[in-house]
Amino acid sequence: MREQQLQTILRHMPAGIATLLGPELRFGFVNEAMQSLLGGDTPEGQPLADHLGVLAADLLEVMQQVYSSGRPYVAKAYALPVAGSDPTSRRYLDVALEPLQDDEGQPQGLLLFAVDVTGQEEARQRAHELALETRRLDARLRVLTETAPQITFSIDAAGQFEYVSPQWYYFTGQPPTADVNAIWPLLIHPDDRLRVLYQSDMARSSGIGWNFEYRLRRHDGQYRWVLSRALPEHHAPDKPVFWHGAVTEVHDQRELAEALRQGEAELRFLADSIPQLIWTASAEGFIDYYNQHTAQYTGLSTQELGPTGWVNLLDPSEQAGAARRWVQCVASGEDYEGLYRMRRHDGQYRWHIIRARQLADARGPRWFGACTDVDDQHRLREVLQTQYDELARTNRDLDTFVYTASHDLKQPLFNLRGLFEELRSSATFHDPEQATLLEMVDDALLQLDGTLQELAATVQDQRELAAPTEELDLQSVAQEVLLGLRAQVEEAQATIDLDVAAAPTLVYGRANLRSVLHNLLSNALKFAHPDRPAHITISSSLSESGQPRLTVQDNGLGMTLVGSAGPSFLLFDRQHPGVAGAGVGLYLVQRIIDSRGGHLEVGSTVDQGTTFTVYWFE
Amino acid sequence: MYPKRAGRGACYQMNHIVYMSRAVRPLSDYDLQDLLAQCRRDNSLHQVTGVLFYSHGSIAQLIEGDPAVIEPLYDKISRDGRHSNVMQLVNKPIAARSFPDWSMAFHPLEAKGFATLEGFFMPSHLPPTPDTLSIADAMLIDLVRQAVFGADEPAAANLTA
Ligand SMILES: Cc1cc2nc3c(=O)[nH]c(=O)nc-3n(C[C@H](O)[C@H](O)[C@H](O)COP(=O)(O)O)c2cc1C
Repeated sequence: MREQQLQTILRHMPAGIATLLGPELRFGFVNEAMQSLLGGDTPEGQPLADHLGVLAADLLEVMQQVYSSGRPYVAKAYALPVAGSDPTSRRYLDVALEPLQDDEGQPQGLLLFAVDVTGQEEARQRAHELALETRRLDARLRVLTETAPQITFSIDAAGQFEYVSPQWYYFTGQPPTADVNAIWPLLIHPDDRLRVLYQSDMARSSGIGWNFEYRLRRHDGQYRWVLSRALPEHHAPDKPVFWHGAVTEVHDQRELAEALRQGEAELRFLADSIPQLIWTASAEGFIDYYNQHTAQYTGLSTQELGPTGWVNLLDPSEQAGAARRWVQCVASGEDYEGLYRMRRHDGQYRWHIIRARQLADARGPRWFGACTDVDDQHRLREVLQTQYDELARTNRDLDTFVYTASHDLKQPLFNLRGLFEELRSSATFHDPEQATLLEMVDDALLQLDGTLQELAATVQDQRELAAPTEELDLQSVAQEVLLGLRAQVEEAQATIDLDVAAAPTLVYGRANLRSVLHNLLSNALKFAHPDRPAHITISSSLSESGQPRLTVQDNGLGMTLVGSAGPSFLLFDRQHPGVAGAGVGLYLVQRIIDSRGGHLEVGSTVDQGTTFTVYWFE
Repeated sequence: MYPKRAGRGACYQMNHIVYMSRAVRPLSDYDLQDLLAQCRRDNSLHQVTGVLFYSHGSIAQLIEGDPAVIEPLYDKISRDGRHSNVMQLVNKPIAARSFPDWSMAFHPLEAKGFATLEGFFMPSHLPPTPDTLSIADAMLIDLVRQAVFGADEPAAANLTA
């Protein structure tokens, strides 16, 4: 009954139990669990070797050795193919082999005890794989942390370093035996040390990460700017245990940024100190900075001017063109340049040269512009232009005077020589002394002629002789001139009518007026018609515009006028080769009148006569 | 900064705001069409008019209307997660509207179907910058347009005026 009970218990045990009897290891008792493990083929009394089933031969050998040696053995995690299923699926068993002996200690058989440890074994194998993977990751992490160009570290809640990557030693030049906890704070720049210690302490006590920059002493004694960043690792919520972080050298970036900041500040200072309008614009063409002087000049803030408001400052007629040009320059990158009137805060427009150029700096392309006030130069140029014009006219006046004077003096000399010839032919001289005298007079006259020739050159230097204007009485000046032309008047048997009642006076240079009258009259006399006595009419009147004008009309040879070319002092010469010397005279007249801002008109009919009209002023 | 409306009624002020921004990720035809539809609906409801330019992630927009409406609208738009780097160029009073309704110009990937869409323009078919704008504002729009579409798209005609 007890045996029966025991058999039942053993049969249903969740572990495999079997007995193998005799040296042939014949199946004895095999419980259900063992039967299913072995695949059910366990006929009682048959040797195991004939019914190995899923068991491998090596296990059989071990069993035989246990049988003969009498020493128990446990095969741990013995892999057994699962009977009757996928040949790759395995079951793991701890198989205890216990020798059975009789009372004399003679071997009788084996007790087989198999416990399924598949679950444990699989877990163990997984753990092993995980450990391998972890080692691999760990190795990778180590390579990364130890080759990345930064110091990595782990620090605990008390502020003690758990780990510092080798870069710390390279950077600081400290020996591998150095006490990081003691030395690291000493390597922080004295000016930064307190701040750094305080900030990291504060972060640790508040359980948060940190991010700050400080100077750390390098192996060569130089302090370099570094960026320290760390994040907490929480094991329980709100209770960080470690901080992991990295220290990266940012010295060069910082110096660059600092240099940029400083450069920009210096440039701004410069720009703000210059009495010029200075500005910058984005690559898209929007103005983003105006210097202080711009605000002073325009009376408008950068805000009020806005990104494109500068165009409002230009003279309205120039705005559209300037805007169009700017849009084009922004598109093409060409330099912008123009001369514009720009409104000052008081409403006055002043001339400016606006110049802008696209340059690329660290932030990409930008526009740099300047507006230079050139108003004073502009005005100065206008004044200079006026003065220049005046000087040029004065010069012409002088020039004219030279011609006029030499020309005018020629006539009296001509008269004098005529008189002298007359005297010589009509009078008789007996005294040989007197003949010498005559020669001397002749010489003197010749000398005077030469002197006159040189006068042109001489007078050119005497600028004080430039003709000043005065109010002149036309009647008396004309009579003076006619007096000088008495000989020619007689020769041409001329009648002269002088009528200046309509405009009796003229404000002009005296010498100039004489020269004009002299030339026009001598011209009229010179070209008198051989078939009739000359008749010359001189009249002064007012033009339609109320300006004085002078008309000299004759009944002489006349000439053909070519087109509307107006008076040409060469015409007489060409058309009347028999009469000499009109060209220069008329040339002078024209120059005198031009230089005073008037003009000369001529009307003429061949064989009937010529009329010159002098419009003194336009 | 600017004088507010005198009060509800006759005299009511008008401002325009112009900004540029960058899309966080490229906007698809569908995104743009969706935006066009929503903006046309909401803007006409609030008497907001204007124009939006889009090309290769660059965005520029002009909105005009009552500052009491467009200033909060601008705040909302500038916080919209679809774009960033929102940079306001102007916000100032204007005498009159320059845009009759609300429109958009962009290059659709799939041009078919867009031609007939209300309020949509191909960038090359955009009307010239309206000459109701001051020269400074017209120049601003021309620069903005050039910045979004590049210099190749025909520039505005009104500056020749
Ligand atoms: C580039 C851009 C432009 C926009 N323009 C407008 C606009 O003009 N009018 C408008 O109502 N919403 C505009 N929106 C959409 C708004 O940001 C917002 O999504 C929309 O008004 C819906 O707001 P709600 O959810 O408060 O109704 C724009 C969005 C983006 C990204």
